[in-house]
Amino acid sequence: MQLNNRPYPDWHEGLTIRGVMEHMRFTWPKLVVKVNGQLVWPEEYDTVVLKEDDDLQIIHLLGGG
Amino acid sequence: MKRLEKDESLCIGCRQCEEACSQAFYKVSDPAKSCIRITDREDGTHAIAVCTQCGKCAEVCNTGVITQDAKGVYRLNKKECAGCLMCVGFCPENVMVQCDDYLEPSKCTACGLCVKACPTGPIRIVEE
Amino acid sequence: MIQMCNVPRYADADMAEIQKMREAHQVLKHVDYEPKDLYHGYTDKRLRIDLSANSVEILDIPQEVKEKFVGGKGYCLRYLWDATNPETKWDSPENAITMSAGPIAGITQYAGTGKCLVCTISPMTDIPIDSNVGGYFGPFLKFSGFDVLELTGKAEEDVIIVIDGNKGTISIEKAPLEHKDAHVLGEELTAMYAEDEKDRKNVAVVCSGSASEHCNLSMLNFTFYDPKRNVVRLKQAGRGGIGRVFANKHVKALVCRFKGVKANLNHVYDIGILNKDGLKFHREIATLDDKQNSMRKSGTAYSLRTLSDYDILPTRNYKYGGTDKIDEMAPEVWQNQWLTQGGADGCWYGCSMACAKTADHFLLKTGPYKGQRVCVDGPEYESAAGLGPNCGITDPQAILELNFYCDTYGVDTISYGTMTAFLMECYENGILNKERTGGLELEWGNIEADLEMLHLMARNEGFGKIAALGSHKQKEYFAKMGWGDMAFMNDIAMEQKGLEYSEYSSKESLAQQGGYGLTNKGPQHDEAWLIFMDQVNNQIPTFEDKAEALYYYPMFRTWFGLLGLCKLPWNDIVPADNSLTDEPAKVPEHVDNYLDLFYGVTGVRIDRDDMIRQSERVYNFQRIFNIRLGKGLRKNDAIPYRSQGPVTEEEYLSRQERYDGQLVEQVGLTPEQVKNMSLQEKMAATRKHREAEYERLIDAVYPKRGWTLNGVPTVAHLKELGMDLPELLAVVEPLQDAQP
Repeated sequence: MQLNNRPYPDWHEGLTIRGVMEHMRFTWPKLVVKVNGQLVWPEEYDTVVLKEDDDLQIIHLLGGG
Repeated sequence: MKRLEKDESLCIGCRQCEEACSQAFYKVSDPAKSCIRITDREDGTHAIAVCTQCGKCAEVCNTGVITQDAKGVYRLNKKECAGCLMCVGFCPENVMVQCDDYLEPSKCTACGLCVKACPTGPIRIVEE
Repeated sequence: MIQMCNVPRYADADMAEIQKMREAHQVLKHVDYEPKDLYHGYTDKRLRIDLSANSVEILDIPQEVKEKFVGGKGYCLRYLWDATNPETKWDSPENAITMSAGPIAGITQYAGTGKCLVCTISPMTDIPIDSNVGGYFGPFLKFSGFDVLELTGKAEEDVIIVIDGNKGTISIEKAPLEHKDAHVLGEELTAMYAEDEKDRKNVAVVCSGSASEHCNLSMLNFTFYDPKRNVVRLKQAGRGGIGRVFANKHVKALVCRFKGVKANLNHVYDIGILNKDGLKFHREIATLDDKQNSMRKSGTAYSLRTLSDYDILPTRNYKYGGTDKIDEMAPEVWQNQWLTQGGADGCWYGCSMACAKTADHFLLKTGPYKGQRVCVDGPEYESAAGLGPNCGITDPQAILELNFYCDTYGVDTISYGTMTAFLMECYENGILNKERTGGLELEWGNIEADLEMLHLMARNEGFGKIAALGSHKQKEYFAKMGWGDMAFMNDIAMEQKGLEYSEYSSKESLAQQGGYGLTNKGPQHDEAWLIFMDQVNNQIPTFEDKAEALYYYPMFRTWFGLLGLCKLPWNDIVPADNSLTDEPAKVPEHVDNYLDLFYGVTGVRIDRDDMIRQSERVYNFQRIFNIRLGKGLRKNDAIPYRSQGPVTEEEYLSRQERYDGQLVEQVGLTPEQVKNMSLQEKMAATRKHREAEYERLIDAVYPKRGWTLNGVPTVAHLKELGMDLPELLAVVEPLQDAQP
């Protein structure tokens, strides 16, 4: 599985988007998530299960004063 | 506290209340310029949005130009108002009026004109 | 949780005392004038006050200045250039402080539209500094008839300048009795110039604080009166020592009174556009802020914990990117224990983002106001991060006390935080010790010593005199005294061009290293904040991508300063459907709002390219201004290694897995080779690689910006921008072929 165009080393069966976020400590409040280019809304982070060849994008929107 | 109370089951959607309200200040018949708003539901009933005098408008105003009068009605002091429209944007019932012809918005004063105009009695002024 | 409705109102000033102070004023100059109404956002008038001559001039702003410089920072830099020459220093009489609010400033319908820009030649960098500040002064200056204010010369004794925009009067008055600290002076002048209690909201004050006469880190406070708390609030033009220049001119304060703020004082082209977009934005905040950044609840301090999670929060002088004690500073802590909730905390009318939070009736434990209960403005993210974890402090009580005293003394929290972190690391390394600091034990997290240093700085005593220099001059002093090795101090002092870094750790983002290093005024995050795009999202992997970002974002963000806008409403809230747009990071709907606002106010339709073009003109002007004053070339864009990689062994070891991995993935060594290298060899290889990457980045960015590889804007580029002005060509033409 790819996360933001880098290989994601901790993929396992049943891994959800929430699971990736927790593992990566992605706590930023403004995220845009896409799986294979398809937008996923926050309500689905717990239920969408990732496959081994999925291309996951978790885009953090800018911040900074 | 003086405010409008509603019973939607009695509303027939005639919009006399909106007419009365927009005529009262804006001197036109325009539902967008009324502080009471009627929307038709698909099942034939009607939703009535009225000011509950919750005070959110006063809370978000940075200059404190919206204050409660002796009867608990939140009133906007137009002379002092800078027209920032935050109160309009934050109104939980979306019943404040913004109109480009005026620099300040307006809000329900619980004057009761809508109640007088209504033929079926779903709205009334209560004082608690 | 502290609710606004339960916060007692602050006490009124003692009017008898105020009267005595006023009676002690001596009017040096009084001018009556006819305030010019605004038209489509402009008065086209400039107010020039020469304090040496006590002269007040009202001048026209020519059309070509308006076309090329737009307003705000553009006007500030244009008139600063005209007032000064290549030899001007920060304390030269001809150095000017210029202030301009920009054409959109002063509308009330859209969030973040009351900003004033301030420029001067900085005592820290010796080049122009620019700062973007809230409070009411900027808009009031416009309503009083002036697009820009220029202060030059030096008064002999402390004066205040009073502008009454309703009566049409300007006076320069000796003001000997008022206090110097901002939270007191702001109250005194607000009470003095308000006709009654209701009128206090119509008075805006600009002042520094008691540190400004001798401290390079001094800023300017801009006030606004908060009618709900009955207190004067302070916002800061923080960076680069503008307060020091102000005090050097013997200006104690500026006061502008204007009664009658209304929605269309700018006499805009089409108010309907402003109403529509403003209302849409207010509704967005009302429904989405709680789900996104909760700016209305904790202000910018919301991001402390989350930045620690990403290894970006500067900790112990930027050695690390986070701390395991971060929960002490979590958003819930600020919201539940310290910051008043439910206030209308905008720093200008109509700011529904309302990030200007306060800790109310905060009990001070140290210093001249010990035992008093005060209103603390903030802390903002930068203040909390710099005063806090960067110095090993995570206690909100201490951060608020430091924040309060910095504000009232007139000290920039960012520079103070970053500088103190440097001093603490010097202490840790024996460059400083108890003897050298006069007894201050500047160990990580020593709150008492930190506060004592700040109080000493305000009083210009003991080690406070050295603290007042700022890190750049401290390095030179410590080296001269034989206390420390200059090369090591150059690595760990987080300053560039003389200005301390703001509070983001850029080690793992090459683009952010450029975002700090390739700035005009020095390492401030307000040009390009690319850490997430680069380090986390991996959206700009190539040098070409990074260069494009380091072209687009600095130009885009410069635009806010030209127009008198706050940047936060652009992307500290995003529309619900922002995810569906082509470029969510740019928040396209909000960019379109800004184009609408420009059209609604001025009547001139511009597109996204025009926006960048407007900025580019001023951006290049500022770059050339730097070159005119002897900085602004490639060598001046060099950055301290602490911002690029691990300086010390403990830093390397704390992220060893990452750095070892990069030696394989990025440097091209084999795992076997890395395994056989000593720690020193690995650190040297990492450094060599990272420093080379930064040079490659510069090679990509400069041409993108239309500059030579030495960082000089090309003549062709200036022509293309319509900025081939003779005074600019005179600076850049001789340098066109010069090699770095």
